Amino acid sequence: MTIIAQPAAPALASAKSLGAVDPVYRQIRDLVYKVSGIYKSEEKLYLLADGCGRRMKQLGARTARDYWDQLTAQPSRDGELRQLLNEITIGETCLFRSQPQLDALRKVILPEIVAEKTKQITKRLRIWSAGCSTGEESYTLAMNMLEESERLLKGWTVEILATDLNDRSIETAKAGIYGEYAVRNTADYYKRKYFSMVDEKKLQIRPEVKKLVTFSRLNLQDDSKMLFMKGLDLVFCCNVLIYFDGISKAKVINHFFSNLNFGGYFFLGTSESLMNLNDQFHLVHFPGTIAYWKPSLKSGKL
Amino acid sequence: MTASIAASIRERVQLIETMPAIPAVFLPLMKLLSNSGEDVKLDEVVRLVSYDGTIAGQCLRVAGSPLFGLPKAPESIKGAVLTLGLRRVETILLTCCLGQAFPAKKWVLDPVVFWRHSLGCAMVCRKFTERLSNADAERAYMAGLLHDIGFMVNCLVFSTEFAAAMERACQDEIPLGEAEHATMGFTHCETGQALAEKWKLADDIIEVIAYHHAIEHSQKAQPLVALVHLSDLLCRMRGLGYGYYERHMVDLIADPAWAILLKEHRELAGVDLVRFTFELDEAVGEIHALVATVFGLAGQSACPQ
Repeated sequence: MTIIAQPAAPALASAKSLGAVDPVYRQIRDLVYKVSGIYKSEEKLYLLADGCGRRMKQLGARTARDYWDQLTAQPSRDGELRQLLNEITIGETCLFRSQPQLDALRKVILPEIVAEKTKQITKRLRIWSAGCSTGEESYTLAMNMLEESERLLKGWTVEILATDLNDRSIETAKAGIYGEYAVRNTADYYKRKYFSMVDEKKLQIRPEVKKLVTFSRLNLQDDSKMLFMKGLDLVFCCNVLIYFDGISKAKVINHFFSNLNFGGYFFLGTSESLMNLNDQFHLVHFPGTIAYWKPSLKSGKL
Repeated sequence: MTASIAASIRERVQLIETMPAIPAVFLPLMKLLSNSGEDVKLDEVVRLVSYDGTIAGQCLRVAGSPLFGLPKAPESIKGAVLTLGLRRVETILLTCCLGQAFPAKKWVLDPVVFWRHSLGCAMVCRKFTERLSNADAERAYMAGLLHDIGFMVNCLVFSTEFAAAMERACQDEIPLGEAEHATMGFTHCETGQALAEKWKLADDIIEVIAYHHAIEHSQKAQPLVALVHLSDLLCRMRGLGYGYYERHMVDLIADPAWAILLKEHRELAGVDLVRFTFELDEAVGEIHALVATVFGLAGQSACPQ
């Protein structure tokens, strides 16, 4: 099985006024969670219903119940689930997608890592954006690290490795040009400081931000290459693992665990979970977000 | 805590009862709730509530909220008891009574934020116990609802001291209890305990109030105290805290409270904590609405800017 590249982010036309939700969508929600670890909360159920609606139209399914049958019966089951996952993750990519993740990073994690590494001669922070798609997450991390470069990270070298399977996504990422939809969560402060105007509707990431990020193509299932991704402090892998089956997913997660330094953190998408695929990582909570932690040696919690 | 601080807490807690707003049914209801389930008589509860139309009305509105999953709001207290069960209606009544007992005046801690946290914690306690066998969900709800009652004591009778603690907590982004300890020399746990003892609450609830930040001191109700401790942490991490950013990481499963609860309830190992967290997020909007209904409060910010 291969990863399906994350689609770029077109505007999402959603039917928010769903009214009473057909209970079948809750069944579909539970199925999606069981298979992918993605959880659509009650208030986001309309997004799931929208996605199902688009698939139903293509398939000619008349009712949600008919669609449920396609999702659960062989031979259509696996392929259809993947199609649905594609539908429901469309439009999730943008810069500054999860402020709670960034807060956790800057307010809790960075001070901790800096304190932990304070005695090391080389002060280096390595971050991996795995499945970086068109670069939004990678540049968001870069801008936030630059914000800390005169404070917490003064004298530190920050490296952001950004990989994706899809060559075209990587080319788009390298160009670093984003439209209004991608910067909808980006504060003016950041727009002014780290972007230049391309035209009325497009902004481009400035070279000093780009300098922090190295983009390259990588298949997360390529074991030999995964072994080389060492010495990481943080791994971000949002809405990518959902496309793997259970066994491949567990293998990739094991790689992430070994790739991370002790005391490092692994972040998934905001509504995503590892479920029970790895018992080495500790599930940890920060205000408004969760992450997975590889306990530090001195914590004695390995 | 020194003997003189303890005496000062007791002395000031005495002042609380002279406040006029405590509904007449509150203490008798608390007494009823302290009995074990079978001893509580439906008629007694209905009779008590009939004394106070405001509380009865509020109780019915709360019972009709989506958090309790009824298709439509019950029309009488008796009707609510028949559909939701006596124990659950009692906890709803308790929620409403507390709303009246402590009217929102000029509190140091925003009462909206306080009640969201307390109700959130109550709900999380109940949701946790629903996943465990042999656990009393309504008792857990009550424990969650009352665990931080000491903050109200602080707002009412230690407002100057508590204002300094609140300011420190907001500024340093540290847990409120830590800030209280640093600035006041005592915390909501001690002041809450003094009030709970004065009200003659049940021993397990007193232990929850006194030890939810120091589970090891609990002697009679460690699993319940541990449950409230975990629910409290989870609420604070999911938007139902004290209205400011708490700069810390919580590892619930590595917390000693988890091991204590697990020892009592092996099923805890099977709880999918991430999904549980996402489900809590779903209830946040409803808790906001409930607080507005029960306590008639509009939102404001917790940290003085």
